[in-house]
Amino acid sequence: MNVTINQEGNKYHVVLDGRIDTTNANQFQQDLTPLMEAANADIEIDCSAMEYTSSQGLRIFLMLQKSVMAHSGKMVLCKLQPQVKEVFDITGFSNIIKII
Amino acid sequence: MYAKRFEPIVDKCGEIIEYLMSSPDMPENAELQFKIRLSIEEAVENIVRYAYEGGAGYLEAATSLDNGMLTVSLTDSGTPFDPLAKPDPDITLSAEDRPIGGLGIFLCKQLMDDIYYNYKDGCNILTMKKGTSASN
Repeated sequence: MNVTINQEGNKYHVVLDGRIDTTNANQFQQDLTPLMEAANADIEIDCSAMEYTSSQGLRIFLMLQKSVMAHSGKMVLCKLQPQVKEVFDITGFSNIIKII
Repeated sequence: MYAKRFEPIVDKCGEIIEYLMSSPDMPENAELQFKIRLSIEEAVENIVRYAYEGGAGYLEAATSLDNGMLTVSLTDSGTPFDPLAKPDPDITLSAEDRPIGGLGIFLCKQLMDDIYYNYKDGCNILTMKKGTSASN
């Protein structure tokens, strides 16, 4: 999983590329730390190249959503691949994380 | 029967998943493979993390195919534990109220056609089934 973060002021454009699974979830969480600590962040995460996520990835997305809300920020995920979107749907994550 | 016994299993998650996904019983359909791989990953990871509480032990991973129905079975001799006994997460809660984690086995239940647990002869046996026609 490659995480690219471009920041301009409080706007963060994030590109995820690859798979999130048990082997790299800890690294993924570390890579997102700047987003979890930012105040009033306006975050857009491009998921078009994210091929797969296990529950390990989901837990980190939820942690990120919670911390963004706690820091008065907002976050949107975009361009999810259909099968990844299905994982967000069946776990109810589509209702608690904004997806466009 | 396609089967292999892994021992020890600490740090073997990836190897066990790849072994199962390489089975000749696996469907070629990519969408089905996605669902099966995710279910296998969640189930295997649970066993590797918790079955032996960090101690040594084995996991026997097996697949079979019968009339288009794929069966994946995972057997360990660790602490007796029914992963299916836990209530499903409440997926209607808000982000603030949703607890972190607890989604792995729920995903298996949702993505596979059938999943059941047996405790027999000192072993935990988790069995997951998935129809392999593309409509599944």
